[in-house]
Amino acid sequence: MKRNICINCKGKGLCGRSLCPILEKFRTMESVSSAVSSDGTIFGASPPAVFVGRYGYPQVRAGPMIPPEMDAAAAQVLEDPKQLLNMDIQDVIAERSRLVRASTTLNIRGSFENKLLLKSQELALSRSAVDTEAKLSKPLSCKLKFDDVLTPMGPVGELKDFDLAENPKVPRKVDYLGYDTDALTKDAVSELFGGGVDCQHITRLLSIGLLGQDRRLVPTRWSITATDDMIGKDFIDKIRDYQPIKEISVFSGGCFGNYFEILLVPRIYSFELLEIWMEKSVWSGNSSWIGQDMEGLDGKKGYSNLTGGYYAARLPALEYLARIRKQATVFMIREITPEYWAPLGVWVVREAVRKALGNSPRIFDTVEQALDDMATRVRTPAKEWKPSSRLLDDLKFQTTLDAFL
Amino acid sequence: MFTATIDAALLKDSIETLTVLVDEARFRISPEGIAVRAVDPANVAMVSFDLTPNAFDDFSASDCEIGLDLTKITDILGVAERSDKVIIELDEQSKKLSIGIGQISYTLALLDPSTIRAEPRIPQLDLAAEIVINGKDLMKSVKAAEKISDHMSLGVEGETFFIEAKGDTDNMRQEMTREQLIDLKTGDVHSLFSLDYLTDMVKPASKSNEVTLHLGSDLPLKLNFNIANGEGKIGYLLAPRIESD
Repeated sequence: MKRNICINCKGKGLCGRSLCPILEKFRTMESVSSAVSSDGTIFGASPPAVFVGRYGYPQVRAGPMIPPEMDAAAAQVLEDPKQLLNMDIQDVIAERSRLVRASTTLNIRGSFENKLLLKSQELALSRSAVDTEAKLSKPLSCKLKFDDVLTPMGPVGELKDFDLAENPKVPRKVDYLGYDTDALTKDAVSELFGGGVDCQHITRLLSIGLLGQDRRLVPTRWSITATDDMIGKDFIDKIRDYQPIKEISVFSGGCFGNYFEILLVPRIYSFELLEIWMEKSVWSGNSSWIGQDMEGLDGKKGYSNLTGGYYAARLPALEYLARIRKQATVFMIREITPEYWAPLGVWVVREAVRKALGNSPRIFDTVEQALDDMATRVRTPAKEWKPSSRLLDDLKFQTTLDAFL
Repeated sequence: MFTATIDAALLKDSIETLTVLVDEARFRISPEGIAVRAVDPANVAMVSFDLTPNAFDDFSASDCEIGLDLTKITDILGVAERSDKVIIELDEQSKKLSIGIGQISYTLALLDPSTIRAEPRIPQLDLAAEIVINGKDLMKSVKAAEKISDHMSLGVEGETFFIEAKGDTDNMRQEMTREQLIDLKTGDVHSLFSLDYLTDMVKPASKSNEVTLHLGSDLPLKLNFNIANGEGKIGYLLAPRIESD
């Protein structure tokens, strides 16, 4: 999209989106600002949620996220992907925008005595919403936060004082790993996940400095992907010993304009993700864009060029393989359609893949047939995305030794 | 029963020829030496490894089979100087392998061989062309091809051995005549191979002065070389890519 199109349009919809992200933002701003009392005090149940920014690292903005005047039941929804899934994009933004980021500037290592941080940590330990009270020193600044990895968030306030109005509900595993400074982060993460603690909770603990030997604040954006990656690697170690699946299967589905086609081939584990950003979806503007990244049995070295979305898409696929105790070569297409008009964060990717893998698969005799079938549902023509794949090339052209016996 | 003493450098190089394809392997030990046949998880490449007792300073063994975690062994051998001697002793009772490096002694748990992929069946191939080339030269060619593509062709045309890589827009070709090679048995052939694998295989091969390549058309590549002054034989087999139209 040309940058000045918004100036000419002013919300008329010239960009082709059904809703104007700029107008949406102000609509919610209004409702939140009125919920802050004149002396800057806000009451509300935090879902729980904390935020650690990345600008200025290692001096970062961090603190709790509180929806003013919201009760526990309503607040819980804001951090629960399963419930956000049932909303429209504008409702997700509207709801999430009620989360005031009450933050203060902290050093990632040097601030562990700070009372505001200690209270935020106490909040982060909780499994469910906690009533809180915070005092802000300045009026809210009207900045909503959108990001490809992060879930949208509301306005920012400078945090002066913060307290919990009730005890946090802390699961036992979270409690002891939170105080275990001998456990490595990756071991703590895999133990938490194995113990049924969800990704959001683990990310929260990691970002607010409650995991691992070397405690520090980790910007939320980074900790989301780090969590996806650590849990994923754990799964890869497990599934590399499993037998290949029996049949060539195709799963499809998605949500919020994130459409997935997932091909599983009976073969050793490897994973490839093609991302197709159709024109007029978030980020892509007036031309479509196709990106690719993959990994083999050794896992991924370095950071994916597809950023956090790669790890978020890989995790549920691995989760699925671990559940059926099989391995497979996974070829995944993520097609982002114009319905995805505002970035909601990588939880959308994670949930969309989970949703697709929850549907029943179609079974095929050959990879070619499976691909033809997938192509009928992907809106972008196959001749545009097929050449971007390296894995399909390998499946088609690389022979195996048993063919020569 | 198995006890042996060997140069650390030689042991490191031997293990490396396996680790390029597999993380764990079954070792068949007998009075005639040590043999490994292993195939990579994707079933694209295979290694056969044979070391005679003469490669060792000391070697005594009766027939047995053990499973080893190669990643762990490589890691441990990292503490050894290349000139060190390594003393290996198998304790069949406790299923442990002790590895002595100078004053340091490691005791490693063995893997149950039945949990490691079975020895592969080895395809019988009729490969027309044979090229003998210096290991370093081969590695240079592979490195040159890597700059252009993910795979490369190996072939013989008349009296010329050629290496060719085709990228989306760019090409690379290298030709070597009999004079630039150590030996050449001709036959008009060519096959395409994944550079992911070739790069890994030529790395250990590059230490050898003579590497023998056996080539056919759209058939696996056989890549053979010796280690330990001819007391060890390494053979790789790599399945080809079938060329696109």
